[in-house]
Amino acid sequence: MDLSDFEANNSVSCRLSSAIPDVCKTEDCCLGIDEAGRGPVLGPMVYGICYCPVSKKDDLKDLKVADSKTLTEAERENLFHKLDEAKSFVGWALQILSPNTISNSMLQRAKYNLNALSHDAAIGLVQYALDCGVQLKEVFVDTVGPAEKYQEKLSQRFPGVEVTVRPKADSLFPIVSAASICAKVARDHAVKSWRFVEDLGDVDTDYGSGYPNDPKTKSWLLKYLDPVFGYPQFVRFSWSTAQSLLDSKAVPVYWDDDEEDGEKAAARMNCASMLSYFSRGKAQSSAREPHRFFTERRLQSLDTL
Amino acid sequence: MTTKKKRSSNTQNDRWVAIAADSAVEASKVGDSGPVFVRLRNPATDAASLYLFGSGDSQLYEVKAFNEDCHSWFVGQTVQRDGRLLYFTPMDPLFLLLPYLMKAGKEGKFQPVQQVVMDEDYPACTRLLSCSQTQASLHHVAEEKEVGSQKFHRYSQEKTMEWLKKKVDKTVRALKTSNISVGGGVKSMTYIRAKQESDAREEDYLRYAHGLISDYISDDLSRELLKALGLPEISSPKELEPPSKKRKMSDRPVEAGEDYTKFNSADFARKPPKKMTAAQKSLAKVDKSGMKTMSAFFSPKVKTEKN
Amino acid sequence: MQRMSANGSVTSLQLGSVAGAEKPDVHLLPCEIEHDGPAEVTRYFTAALKDRKHEKSVSFRGRGLKGQEVSCPHGYTGLVLRENHKPTSDQEDRTVRVSSVFHRFTYWNLDTPPTSDDGVVMAMAWPEIAEAIHGLVDD
Repeated sequence: MDLSDFEANNSVSCRLSSAIPDVCKTEDCCLGIDEAGRGPVLGPMVYGICYCPVSKKDDLKDLKVADSKTLTEAERENLFHKLDEAKSFVGWALQILSPNTISNSMLQRAKYNLNALSHDAAIGLVQYALDCGVQLKEVFVDTVGPAEKYQEKLSQRFPGVEVTVRPKADSLFPIVSAASICAKVARDHAVKSWRFVEDLGDVDTDYGSGYPNDPKTKSWLLKYLDPVFGYPQFVRFSWSTAQSLLDSKAVPVYWDDDEEDGEKAAARMNCASMLSYFSRGKAQSSAREPHRFFTERRLQSLDTL
Repeated sequence: MTTKKKRSSNTQNDRWVAIAADSAVEASKVGDSGPVFVRLRNPATDAASLYLFGSGDSQLYEVKAFNEDCHSWFVGQTVQRDGRLLYFTPMDPLFLLLPYLMKAGKEGKFQPVQQVVMDEDYPACTRLLSCSQTQASLHHVAEEKEVGSQKFHRYSQEKTMEWLKKKVDKTVRALKTSNISVGGGVKSMTYIRAKQESDAREEDYLRYAHGLISDYISDDLSRELLKALGLPEISSPKELEPPSKKRKMSDRPVEAGEDYTKFNSADFARKPPKKMTAAQKSLAKVDKSGMKTMSAFFSPKVKTEKN
Repeated sequence: MQRMSANGSVTSLQLGSVAGAEKPDVHLLPCEIEHDGPAEVTRYFTAALKDRKHEKSVSFRGRGLKGQEVSCPHGYTGLVLRENHKPTSDQEDRTVRVSSVFHRFTYWNLDTPPTSDDGVVMAMAWPEIAEAIHGLVDD
């Protein structure tokens, strides 16, 4: 699998895809959606679709695709090769959500949660297949969040397509298994050959599974914690594992949209007023307000350096 | 006050990021003292503000800070927590001299400025007399007499108004060229009725410029200037500010409203001795001879029973 | 008798060699970092900074920043001042020195692209207005 398009800028989201088999533009097709790397605190999350004519479902079964989680890395590589060899009737597309995209989205002012991010990635890929002329009739997908709601959302979004949202879809429907293999292979490659955008020299790549409870992952997170910057973009800052390590080991950073609840808010309010009272506010203590030219520009007089 | 996430105050600040007029940082001439920051009496607030004198005290600079909450700097390979951006901009020393000249002017006689510009609370004020702009523009606010080699000055309200009006004009022009949004102010109804729309807009500029200049002069002078500009007074100056632009609570704690420094500056406070309110006066007049003192109400009962 | 007060003390500004001073990269961040001192700015920040035609972007602590370079107003120089010895009382004379200079810096917004309504950009109008308020008036 060639990830060079993603590797050229792994700070953002990237789409990779196979050529569209001609037969998929003329025959009714089924399409499976699955994801890889949802849980880990490191690396990208990959959304994958795989599609083929409904009439070729049995041919796909003959490839012996299975849920990627039950396979070894070598088996997944092997199956991806087989899918690639079946390119006359099987197509795939991937959306790689970089860890930076995940962090930025989940931490932006108007919070964008992981489920919404996942749904949008899946919808974007299905739309991509439609835009390319794939004659979609059936879509199968593993659930993200409540199954009924997701099914309703997808059905409304794609009228005329029969949508099946089912837990464990990746082991029930071969087209979903195929999608999961594509996604997982991409995720494995991306993590293994991660090119750090930061100038960190040789980075220890022994990050373990990337799951927060993996001791290797944990010790990697401790080793690569910078007191000011926190982590390289490879880490998902929005994961509580990363957040709590930063809370305890890094320099505190305050944003103007920090949640102000309970004790923290009280402490901050207290300090903010202390701060302006003792070190910054003295010159402001005159009876007359400065002209709005100054207040609008946040310009104030000082009484001490 | 012991939570981990509390934002501690930043009192140990030892770095500042500033934007300075080039003249403020020009290499000083041999023998000149370098630039110095001093505290002087702010003519608008009557409290201390920070100013900068250039080398040899030849030029005065105002110090302002751009201060948005939650900012920090990266400077090279360092973090500077204090995210303020200071501005050192050339300032007209006459604004700071005016209160001294006006006070002396009350005596009605010509005096050498060296005798007038003295302030034990702000000893650095004498440096203002070294500024080249002071020498070049004292005649804008005072009548001048020369006897021998000695110059004498007497404050002139008339001249000062002319000078301030010129400042307002200059400021209006700068506001226009800089495309500063001056709208949103409350206009006086008479002015609008009497003039065309474009003139009403002109009033916005005039009021805005007047407001800016007023940040450098006393309230009294500000009111005089408004009259001199032919602008009717608007009852509450607060109305001039659109409500959305009101400062946030966090910018200015309520407690800071009281300025205790004022009570220390006897020279300028010119406040009459604290007067009693009407209610206090009437209370004071009441014959208290028959009244029980407060303590009597709380004394142990046994005492009263002894009677 | 001279009354002892904070207003009597002065703070000298040592210019050193402004022309020869270090010229570091300067960034204004939309967050308060509770730290004064060294940081691996080049490794973590500058290296990750993306500079497309009209917009700079980078992340800090996982949050997306969008930035823009601004130049000091004409006739102005950026200074970084440092004080080596903190005074023990407010009556003591102090000394700060110019530790570095800059002519432009990059300011960063959280999430939102830079516009002319941003505080820093608006504040840049101050020197020009100040010149009108404080410059010499004609006779």
